[in-house]
Amino acid sequence: MKTTLSKYSLILAATAILGLDSCKRDKDPEPGPIVPVYGSVNGKINYVFGADMVPWQLNKLYVHPKTGDSLTFTNFRFFISNFKLKKADGTWWTQPESYYLIDAKTAAESSFSIPNVPEGEYTAVEYTMGIDSLHNVSGAQTGALTLSSGMFWDWNSGYIMLKAEGDSPNSSTGKFALHLGGFSGTNNIVTVRTAEFGKTVKVTNGTTPTMTFTVNPARLWHTSPGLATISVIHMPGAEAVTMAKDFYNNVTLSSVQ
Amino acid sequence: MRRQSYILLLAGLAGISACKPDADFRTPAANYTPERPAHFPPAHYTHDKNKYSQAGFELGRKLFFDPILSANNTISCGSCHKQEHAFADVNIRLSKGIDGKTGIRHTPAIFNMAWNTSFMWDGGVNQIEVMPLTPLTNKVEMAETISNIVYKLNRHKEYPTLFKNVFHRDSIDDQQMFWALAQYMSNLVSASSKYDDVYTGKTTYTKDQQDGYNLFKQNCSACHTEPLLTDYSFKNNGLDYQFTDSGRYRITRREEDWGAFKVPTLRNIAVTSPYMHDGRFTTLEQVLHHYADSVKQTPSLSPLLVKNGKPGLHLTADEQRKIILFLRTLTDTKFLTKAGLTE
Repeated sequence: MKTTLSKYSLILAATAILGLDSCKRDKDPEPGPIVPVYGSVNGKINYVFGADMVPWQLNKLYVHPKTGDSLTFTNFRFFISNFKLKKADGTWWTQPESYYLIDAKTAAESSFSIPNVPEGEYTAVEYTMGIDSLHNVSGAQTGALTLSSGMFWDWNSGYIMLKAEGDSPNSSTGKFALHLGGFSGTNNIVTVRTAEFGKTVKVTNGTTPTMTFTVNPARLWHTSPGLATISVIHMPGAEAVTMAKDFYNNVTLSSVQ
Repeated sequence: MRRQSYILLLAGLAGISACKPDADFRTPAANYTPERPAHFPPAHYTHDKNKYSQAGFELGRKLFFDPILSANNTISCGSCHKQEHAFADVNIRLSKGIDGKTGIRHTPAIFNMAWNTSFMWDGGVNQIEVMPLTPLTNKVEMAETISNIVYKLNRHKEYPTLFKNVFHRDSIDDQQMFWALAQYMSNLVSASSKYDDVYTGKTTYTKDQQDGYNLFKQNCSACHTEPLLTDYSFKNNGLDYQFTDSGRYRITRREEDWGAFKVPTLRNIAVTSPYMHDGRFTTLEQVLHHYADSVKQTPSLSPLLVKNGKPGLHLTADEQRKIILFLRTLTDTKFLTKAGLTE
């Protein structure tokens, strides 16, 4: 009896070792000398309006300094994506599946977190305003890219990368609805931006810096005519390119701390 | 010693259980290869992320025929896409959507979708997974929101289990719903008509069918390319002098696309009446008569429809008759009656 038990024990021990060993191969990446430690970086959107950069929010009346239009935004949403962080040694860390839908409705939906950033010192950020072309042609997706957000054109496939809607007495309908998108050829509005931190920013397991981006909805009409001329954009094209580029190219990293 | 055995046994079990792969990466329970006929070119849709399984196909089929996908739970995809008509509608010019509302274009047939490079009459939709977004949300079709469909599916008595069996996620999201529909639609494959049997050397045409096929190759196959019987391009085929529906122009805003619509496949054409984007013709005779002598010259007219400096293909009555005899060999009765395609 004793002998039998010992035999079983050995078999079971072997099973256990094999089992554990095979798990290791399945689950762990190649063991290296350095165990990577991760932290995270937060992002926050700060909204301002016009050259005076007064604080901006939904459901409040603003007069556009250039067009003179009275504008009350009821909906303001846009995608920011493909974050990369530049390390002090000059190499870049790229966030996988990096897509965020920003909604001016709430502070929570105007901030985001970039998880699993390798611990280290960083000096710059690269980000994309809009959604890269590949993800406009990749079918049904999840997270920020869900088709249930109302940010995907059903009749002319592609993401609505920026949606600005509201009321204005200067529009013939009393309303404006600017749906900006387009990812190919001359209709492409996708804009890659980079910003230097101007210092070294440390990311550790316990140190989470926050990047604040300032966006200015008034910039949509920086070179575009007022609502008497264009109050609705619902597809890619030259009008969308001008408006989107004017807005995107003015997005600034206002602080990192 | 006995105690030691138990400890080792536990260790062994713990080791084994920790080896279970993450749910999302589990291979489908029932492996199944989508139907890809040997005489077809490679499919455009390859199921790279949306892994194909028989259970996924069946789930997509259940969704396709379930009115739960419409705003008032009255109509399903299958209400307008019927198998006996190659998943087009039943001899109706404009299909009836929610509350009997109608749109502006004729319900297209659904088969061989995995080879399609774009969807809808104007090609506005770029991928099969996002194709249902249009009919599901369009106010005159099913008029539902995607988030409400997901809400209804998650509270349904059967769907949560069915989805979990296919996609192994904790709850149903819209990606899984679109993926299941894509698994179903991309595997409605029609490739067993008489035309296919001739194409693969199993049989031969009658004399008139063969004459019709030769005429088809001279006059039609530049756009209705074999063996899928479409090149998926967009053409103004000369229906009107003035277009009320701008067609492909609506998507591209290019003048040359004015009044252009997708070249439809001619497979199963005899059972998918009426014809053209607006269903204006009810018979193949009317269609052939149009191409023969009624093509309208406008700046965006396809140059392939101009012969000897005059619009139209100038086919005689006998030539038209023979082409129609050939077109009837494209009816795939096996596909139209195949079990397991309709819920």
